[in-house]
Amino acid sequence: MVVPGVEPSDELLAARAAAGDSSAFETIVQRYQARVFRLACRLTSDTDAPDVLQDTFLQVYRHLPSFRGESQFGTWLYRIATNAALMHRRASTRRPAESLEAYLPQFDADGTHSATPAELQVASRADELLDRQTLADRARDVIARLPDTYRDAFVLRDLEDMPTARVAQVLGIEPAAVRQRVHRARLMLRGYLSDLVGVKP
Amino acid sequence: MTHVACASGVELLMDFIEGVLPSDVSAALEAHVAGCARCTAFVASYQATPRILRDATAATLPADIEASLKAFLRARTDTFK
Repeated sequence: MVVPGVEPSDELLAARAAAGDSSAFETIVQRYQARVFRLACRLTSDTDAPDVLQDTFLQVYRHLPSFRGESQFGTWLYRIATNAALMHRRASTRRPAESLEAYLPQFDADGTHSATPAELQVASRADELLDRQTLADRARDVIARLPDTYRDAFVLRDLEDMPTARVAQVLGIEPAAVRQRVHRARLMLRGYLSDLVGVKP
Repeated sequence: MTHVACASGVELLMDFIEGVLPSDVSAALEAHVAGCARCTAFVASYQATPRILRDATAATLPADIEASLKAFLRARTDTFK
């Protein structure tokens, strides 16, 4: 039963859509299309994102009858979207990604940070020091340079702001592996932001 | 007592922030960072990095791409008729 004025849950909509209710499916699309598009931009490119968006909802439509509610509907949908993005990344001819290892923090022989506190702090202000468009362009490029497994974990955990446990469910890996990948990605990206504003990581 | 230097402390940051470190290790890390200006600065930038990149990559769905999605689904499913 749908109570007027109360938004039906994802799971209720999924059950109705699976039973052939087209308006329930349309509501799911309305509810998730902006989020899936944003995710697709982050996991692929502005060029590939519209195709990833279409593929995702077609897959959702086709697989709804097999959605059993073992995970939250949103988790299930994000898994489909993440896989669709991966397919597009594999299909697109990309130049080999230049390693981001150079942006990892540097330490002296005794394990102390080589950089000064002021140098270490500056990445925090990258958004104040760079103009909006430059930062947007560079952010898109550098995220595309992350190794695939780091990129998926970082995008879901830090850019989509999803809890680690859910990222683990979406990617089918252990939470500890999510944390390890996100950590490595943060270290490289932090150093990259430092470098962008002219300071060695 | 666990000894933490900058380099070993950095490797613990994610687990620290997520609250999955053993309490003695967590306390040792906090004590190191509190007394180390370099690590205090590093932690601030480590925590700012996700926010900066999230804001910089927050794409919105353009109306023409939304319309293409509906047309695509209309052609392939029984929806959006």
